[in-house]
Amino acid sequence: MNRGTRAIDLGLASCHTCGRVSPAAAGHCPRCHSAIHLRKPASLSRTWAFLLAATALYLPAMTLPIMDVQGLGGTGPSTILSGVITFWEMKSYPVAIIIFLASVVIPIAKVGALVWLCLAASGRAAGAPKHHAKLYHLTELVGRWSMVDVFVVAILATLVQLGALMTITPGPAALSFAGVVVLTMFSAMSFDPRLLWDREFGGSRAA
Amino acid sequence: MRRDHPGLSWPRPPGADRVACPSCDALQEAPRLREGEAAHCGCCGEVMFQNRPRSLARATAFSASALILMVLVHSFPFLTMQATGIQTRLTLLESAAALLNDASPVLAAAVVVFTIVAPLVIAGSLLYVTAPLRNGVALPGALTLTRWIERCQPWNMLEVFLLGLVVSLLKLGHLADVHFGIGLWALVGLVLCLAAALAGIDRRELWDRLEVALHSPPRRP
Repeated sequence: MNRGTRAIDLGLASCHTCGRVSPAAAGHCPRCHSAIHLRKPASLSRTWAFLLAATALYLPAMTLPIMDVQGLGGTGPSTILSGVITFWEMKSYPVAIIIFLASVVIPIAKVGALVWLCLAASGRAAGAPKHHAKLYHLTELVGRWSMVDVFVVAILATLVQLGALMTITPGPAALSFAGVVVLTMFSAMSFDPRLLWDREFGGSRAA
Repeated sequence: MRRDHPGLSWPRPPGADRVACPSCDALQEAPRLREGEAAHCGCCGEVMFQNRPRSLARATAFSASALILMVLVHSFPFLTMQATGIQTRLTLLESAAALLNDASPVLAAAVVVFTIVAPLVIAGSLLYVTAPLRNGVALPGALTLTRWIERCQPWNMLEVFLLGLVVSLLKLGHLADVHFGIGLWALVGLVLCLAAALAGIDRRELWDRLEVALHSPPRRP
């Protein structure tokens, strides 16, 4: 593999906003005036902090009701998981699968992936930086789709306002879950993928 | 400096001939690309930037269409539901209003930001920046707006909302009379146009052209 010069070795930073390479000592990008850093500041601590907050919010998001169905045809409050089970029993498999993927699989996989990336960046997990970088791009891409359940609740709460017959109102879990998605997105944004390569390059120079 | 060399790379400001790979930070010379080519990092192989064909024209056209479709999306409901003589309709604003009534103001604000504000900022700014850039002109505030395009991109969740609509439709289908409106088709078009507008021009090309336009005296036709 070609191990050429890296920008950090020359004190150069590429701007996070516009990609311009300029001396990091200036503090601001000469082109777009954003703040520039050699690496995202406190990247790992911020990523860990957002991850912890997201995990903490995930508990109320799963245990509290996400929506409340009141009225004659009402079934009362339901959580994310009880909703998935209801739809599976009603044989609406696509709905059950989409909700299960978006609300359970993706958030947990995303948190798991970011934990692994943080460990890899601090040298405590195995794997090639190239694969880690792929994993990072995947986490960034997939995370926002978790928001689908929150939108479904918003749509149902708007449409199903049929007075005594049936009314749907959002429950406390909807807000917690939106918080989980936003926090994991912040977590992914705080992570600097170049940290994954710093060990590789640093190690090769020491050898 | 001119845009009548379709085969050549975009004009580059002085000092923009180096690039550090956003993934692995390897410093290298930024190659000149022909339309349709992509520059890969010599160290990790990640795509660093691309030269999209007819980039400014496409970004202008698709962001303009996105803005027009946005008007339709806000004027016509996605779905209307009829049950026991009560009719309810769904638009983005009404869904935010319903959340506000149900005492979830934070959720309402989130829906407004993710589905109304972020797409509007992206499409509006892209049109405002790219249309004059076709003549090498940067209008006042173009720099700030381009920064906002970058900032808003992760928070634009219209396509996720569209998936939410499909799921809700599957949920409600057996419950009541649900009808599609023009708004739904406009939303599909808007999602596609917004994606095409953003994919139409590479971030690096947009910033390079903007810098050239800002630092060159205005040209008279």
